[in-house]
Amino acid sequence: MTVENSGNNHNGKFRSWLSGLLLDWDRTQMLICFFLVVLLAIAPFFISSTYYLGIIILATIYAFIGISWNIVAGFTGQLLIAHIIFLAVGAYTTIVLFNNFMISPWVGILIGGVIAALCGAIVAFITLRYGLKVDYFALFTIALMVALRTLFLKWDYVGGAVGMWFRLTNPSFDKMIFENKAPYLYIAIGLVVIGLIIQYRIYRSKMGKYFLAIREDDDAASALGVNTSQYKMIAVVIGAAMAGIGGGFYVMYVTFIEPPQVFNLGLNVEIVMAGPIIGGLGSLAGPVVGALLNKPFAEIMRGALTEGRSGSSLIVYGSFLILTIMFMPRGVTGVLHTIYRKIISQYQRKAQGDS
Amino acid sequence: MALLEVNRISKRFGGLVAVNDLNLKLDKGNILGLIGPNGAGKTTAFNMISGFYKPDEGEVLFDGQRINGLRPDQICRLGIARTFQVVKPFPQLSVRDNVMVGAYNRTNKRSEARQKALEIIEFLGMQDLSETTAGSLSVAYRKRLEVAKALATNPKIILLDEAMAGLRPTETDEMIELVRQVSKQGIALLLVEHVMRVIMSLAEQIVVIHHGEKIAEGEPKQIVRDKAVIDAYLGEVEIDVKG
Repeated sequence: MTVENSGNNHNGKFRSWLSGLLLDWDRTQMLICFFLVVLLAIAPFFISSTYYLGIIILATIYAFIGISWNIVAGFTGQLLIAHIIFLAVGAYTTIVLFNNFMISPWVGILIGGVIAALCGAIVAFITLRYGLKVDYFALFTIALMVALRTLFLKWDYVGGAVGMWFRLTNPSFDKMIFENKAPYLYIAIGLVVIGLIIQYRIYRSKMGKYFLAIREDDDAASALGVNTSQYKMIAVVIGAAMAGIGGGFYVMYVTFIEPPQVFNLGLNVEIVMAGPIIGGLGSLAGPVVGALLNKPFAEIMRGALTEGRSGSSLIVYGSFLILTIMFMPRGVTGVLHTIYRKIISQYQRKAQGDS
Repeated sequence: MALLEVNRISKRFGGLVAVNDLNLKLDKGNILGLIGPNGAGKTTAFNMISGFYKPDEGEVLFDGQRINGLRPDQICRLGIARTFQVVKPFPQLSVRDNVMVGAYNRTNKRSEARQKALEIIEFLGMQDLSETTAGSLSVAYRKRLEVAKALATNPKIILLDEAMAGLRPTETDEMIELVRQVSKQGIALLLVEHVMRVIMSLAEQIVVIHHGEKIAEGEPKQIVRDKAVIDAYLGEVEIDVKG
């Protein structure tokens, strides 16, 4: 060992850097995500089918939305079920600004994020003011979604029941309209990378510890000096802002929005909840790992089981989710963590044996 | 001026008077014991001092500043930490992360919070458990973790709510020693305790409450001889022991 290290200093440095990385589960999870992101980035070079590329793009967007929900539901444990509200707000903002005011989606998406964040602040304020926790909080968000669906159905300015189409023009970077699918994928990957960095920075900071403490026991947290209301609100605002941005990009990609589509618990399960739950709610890699399994699985089932028995794919999909929750309550990342711990403890035992 | 002054606080739940007209005084670095039979209002008094309940009447002064009406986290930031009778660990977090939550009360830096947490974990003799998740600790260690978290907030006063209940005699002895060590650091302690041995060996002053009212106050030696206390509280214990 020592001969090797002194013989090749660079190698030794690299090894200690790598072991520092791999001995830390948080960083190992980031490494897994980084690996998956690279796979996504090279996908267009190997997949020419626009259908499959489309699934990959949606899965990537879902990963970003999943991260936004993970910060609220996974970290602070707030049951923000109808998180899709914020996605819808961001999406509507982006499309209205583009169609009616000719504001570039690059800007519109950010404005959508800000407005979604404001909505998040309002939701958090009301629920905290009236002490709605856990199941009541969940019910409040669902009720709000239903109310907003009705409101948007009657609101002609945003298309009412007819919905809104993007006013498509010639492909141009300014308008975020591209001829082929690859640029959409790279924008989505960019969002996921930013999302992962934000999530990691939060997780490792004071704020992240406070979020987790609130999830675990909010009375105990407040006895240790945590302003639980303030931190719950911060989490909802961050999650809502990210979901709004994700929603803005989502609508740019699918080019159409209508109230029954976005104010919809079914889509909410698929786009917001399934990824983090399959991947491991509250973990760092969960939303990305989960989304990349969830969306392709749903699509494959849809393709395989549509003929003659439409809807039967949803039964399979639902059963898949239930089985995941029953047998992997901590998701795929939870299983990976167990394996990881076994490997690490063996490695450490071996290292002790060597010395 | 006392560090903590509780002036004539009362709390009612519907028709039930949980605490009535209670006065307490705790000086810097002292240990005050609060005892009384089950349901006497000890935990209610605790909850009023730590901000979990608002008193219906009266006031709580810390360092001369009125603190009743403040939230628990504000009171903690001022320098009063508490433990819970029914322990409240953060079960899925490691022992170190549990204590770090407390340590972040005085710093925003991860490295500082970590350092402080590790020091406290070592002080409590739990260094081998620092990576263990709190949910898998034994009862004795969970009780210790409560003290560790409170200590990490860097308080001037710690309110210990039955920190020894449910412990075996040897564990209780270790805990008594620990509390002494904490007291030696200059931290004032308010103990709610059922185990008389603990109170008698630790407290410098004792307040006895019964049905929410103070019935006696004094040094441990005086308290054990007090007629009212024996009737209300110590008497019961004796009957329990015989039966």
